[in-house]
Amino acid sequence: MKRIDTSVERIKGDIADFYRPDKQHFIVMNAMDLGEKIEVQWFFNEYAEPYETTAFCTQISPGTEIPSISDIIPSAWVAEAELVDLLDLKIGNTAKGFVLEPDFATGPLRKNRQDGKTI
Amino acid sequence: MAKQYEIPVGAQHISLLEPLHFKFTTENEKIVDTSANLFYVHRGIEKACCSKFKFRQVSFVVGRVCGLCSVSHSTAYSQVAEKLIKIEVPARAKFLRMLVIELDRIHSHLLCLSHVAENSGFEALFMKTMRHREAFMELLEAVCGNRIQYDFSIVGGVARDLKAKVAHMILGRLREFEPQLSELDDIFRNNWSLGLKNKNAGAIGLADAIRLNVVGPFARAAGFAIDVRNETEDLLPWKAAGFKIVTGTSGDAYARNLVRLGEIGVSMRIIENVVRGLPDSPLLTETKAFPEGEAVVRIEAPRGELFYYAKGNKTQILERLKIKAPTFSNIPAMVEGFKENEYGSVPAIIASYDPCLSCTAR
Repeated sequence: MKRIDTSVERIKGDIADFYRPDKQHFIVMNAMDLGEKIEVQWFFNEYAEPYETTAFCTQISPGTEIPSISDIIPSAWVAEAELVDLLDLKIGNTAKGFVLEPDFATGPLRKNRQDGKTI
Repeated sequence: MAKQYEIPVGAQHISLLEPLHFKFTTENEKIVDTSANLFYVHRGIEKACCSKFKFRQVSFVVGRVCGLCSVSHSTAYSQVAEKLIKIEVPARAKFLRMLVIELDRIHSHLLCLSHVAENSGFEALFMKTMRHREAFMELLEAVCGNRIQYDFSIVGGVARDLKAKVAHMILGRLREFEPQLSELDDIFRNNWSLGLKNKNAGAIGLADAIRLNVVGPFARAAGFAIDVRNETEDLLPWKAAGFKIVTGTSGDAYARNLVRLGEIGVSMRIIENVVRGLPDSPLLTETKAFPEGEAVVRIEAPRGELFYYAKGNKTQILERLKIKAPTFSNIPAMVEGFKENEYGSVPAIIASYDPCLSCTAR
């Protein structure tokens, strides 16, 4: 896996420069709670050799808004909606409630939730 | 402008195998817009895998993500864990993993084809296809000890060896199934009434398949040659076992049926090669190492690319496990594929998408 670390301000431009629909396949987004920071990752794979997986990674403070990339990659809205619900992220105008029901605990994959429980 | 009607389908509906909800906006029976809600069965599996279970136990947990492609999940997880603990799996275990993955692909594709037949109003073909599938379920039980949720791939290798009697049974069943597969292919290819329901239904063109990052038979039916088995030899030797990619052109339900039938033929060839050329080696590499660092694995499940990301922190509990199921990638294309179709074709189109919601919602 090739890892490209970038900043939240540059992430959208970096992905726009990198992504060509006929060359790269957008796999999914991932995020994980590191405690003080949340790391967000965007995974891509090449369609032709070398079939390498590239991960764009950025670390943000909780509450920081991340730009949506669904205008660059139309299928990315599902991955964004999932992280909005599971990690309580703010991603562009993506609304909550696609993956989890309204009565579900907010951001179940976050550590140090308000109820004091950690994963 | 004709009057528009909104028609909900699901979450519980006679034509659905799993809980998913579509809302169709129709105009003179033609679908002009669709919205979807597909996450009624979120079970928190990723969280459980990073909090309740030790990393060696996780292969058994992720085997429960899905009943249909259980072995794809447990194999993908085992591979990503093996990368984190830096071990090489014995050759025999790699071949046995391929064997079960391909048996699983055959039963999953036959299930999909049977439901396409049923939802197209062809009950007799549904019965016939399910009868053929049953024989492969029996083979899976003979190899793994279970009809579903096999617990076959484990971290370091596989849990069971292939007995000579079972190998003989597999080869016999493959010989029996060859003419039956040709008959199914003839029906799905040439039956007039099935063609009326499936041709041009739920079509996604090549450009849209690329634009929407579609995976699996859904993509290949549109002529988009994406298959993880075609890309990597490092974890499982697919090409050595006889893999060949199968693609279609029209991208509709008809093409998806034919791609799945073609892939069953390829799976049969791989299974035969694996059984005849099974290398002699141990089944398991044992180590006491703990997972460290991060790794990704892609594997071709019956519905397409299955992706696992794992991060270890030198303890028994993983820091993060991320699962991306193939249906998750296909949601945008599924929503678009309904447009301009007759509302009456919806059940057949949904079945031809072969969605797996328990994988997707996890």
